[in-house]
Amino acid sequence: MHSQTISLFRFLMLGILSKRLLVLLAIMVLGAVLSGSFINELAIINGAAIQTAFVADFLRYSLALLTLLMIATSVAEDYESRQFERLLTMPLARWQYIVAQTLVIACLCFLLNLPVALLVSLYGDAAVGFYWAAALWLELFLLGVLGLLAILSLEKIPQAVMFSLAIYLLAKFSGLISLMLTESVKLSEGSVSSRVIEFIFGAILYVIPGSRTFAQNDVFFASQDLIAMLASQFASVSIYALFLLAVCLIDFYRKEFNL
Amino acid sequence: MRRGERPLLLLPRPLLLAFLVLFACQLLYHHASRAQMALNYQALDRPLSAPVYRGIAMGSEQLLGYLMAIRLQLHDNQAGQHFRYDLIDYAVLADWLELISQISPHSEYSMLLASRIYTQTSDPQQLHLMLDFIERQFGANPQLHWRRLAEASLIAKHKLHDLDLALQMAEKIARQPASVQMPQWARDFRFLLLAELNEFESAIAIIQALLQSDVVDDPDEKRFLQEKLLDFQQKLLDNQQSTNN
Repeated sequence: MHSQTISLFRFLMLGILSKRLLVLLAIMVLGAVLSGSFINELAIINGAAIQTAFVADFLRYSLALLTLLMIATSVAEDYESRQFERLLTMPLARWQYIVAQTLVIACLCFLLNLPVALLVSLYGDAAVGFYWAAALWLELFLLGVLGLLAILSLEKIPQAVMFSLAIYLLAKFSGLISLMLTESVKLSEGSVSSRVIEFIFGAILYVIPGSRTFAQNDVFFASQDLIAMLASQFASVSIYALFLLAVCLIDFYRKEFNL
Repeated sequence: MRRGERPLLLLPRPLLLAFLVLFACQLLYHHASRAQMALNYQALDRPLSAPVYRGIAMGSEQLLGYLMAIRLQLHDNQAGQHFRYDLIDYAVLADWLELISQISPHSEYSMLLASRIYTQTSDPQQLHLMLDFIERQFGANPQLHWRRLAEASLIAKHKLHDLDLALQMAEKIARQPASVQMPQWARDFRFLLLAELNEFESAIAIIQALLQSDVVDDPDEKRFLQEKLLDFQQKLLDNQQSTNN
């Protein structure tokens, strides 16, 4: 059973690697290096730290988009080419496909993070470079699983990518949205509608990733307890990723395929 | 062999006239474009509150603070043109610097911009606004910002010629507890400025107190203080003698 899952993982991974992944990665790294150098030239002080932090964040958001697109394209192609119907005629359980895709996401994030670890360590401290690579791996893995859930459910690349990005950005901007809602309650002198909206958003926050699930860019400017931060992020990502995978399994088992 | 030149008045009149007209056009155009340049200047917008920018930062507050500082630093360069600092609204500029300090409280960038870049203005009011900002921020983190307040004190003395303000800043530095680590010269500003104000008695009292306490343990620093003490005592004596005469 394990060998079947591993074979499926290899097959899916080869499909992802054949999508000019390394070329895209090289372009992103080049873009990060060039724009980081530009920022360094502009900065009067702390140029190196600002450059490292900028390169790290530039790569974070470009790789997030790349991960989402790769996962969504891979699963969408399986839908289009009726791969699921073929796979399900074989002695394969549906959960094995989800496990194989999870392994693909983990490996893809690892591959994407290799140049990040190298680049950030070169620009700054090796310990911070390791932290950033590990934290970014966790963040990208979570986003990849979210993308997997989105494409399994929505079946179309644009919708799946938009949905995943919306959740990702909602989580990132949750602080700002909460602030706006609190201010709106104050401005409307505690009106019921404002309070209801604030309550609904508070409830939504329970089912989207919290701020701890993301890599912390402030490590480039002040020494922090990296291990503790990583441990906290690992716990947070583990719980949320397992929750997402459970939803993926439920959704995938509910789907009807014409065998 | 140098070729001879005909006098200008012998040239064809239409050519001379065309030259004068075109020269006048060039001067007018340059004058108009200078005026237009000032009109083209896009003023700084008022910043939003710090929590809004923290929300926008998506968890990278420090980086955003630095990028905002770099953006502010480039404000005087618009569409390939460099604008004079006098055009900048310094009240809004101080708001931006304050905001950046709130977003990146451990960064020196905004204070550096205030003390090194925006104090290049020749307008005393604008200069006062920058010095006020530096003085306020120093209170928030004396350890990080003592250099900037020392610079501000020098600017107040040499550029604003406001010795009272310079002394007020120097006293703020000198009054910091020993836990705030800074070289002794930063604390010595106070008595040097007092001497400039002809307040030799106060300066002498401060130096004597410093020498009697255990604050100064560096032999070079002690020698410097002793020299200054003798110098000020001599000047005080000279002053008293000239008053008596």
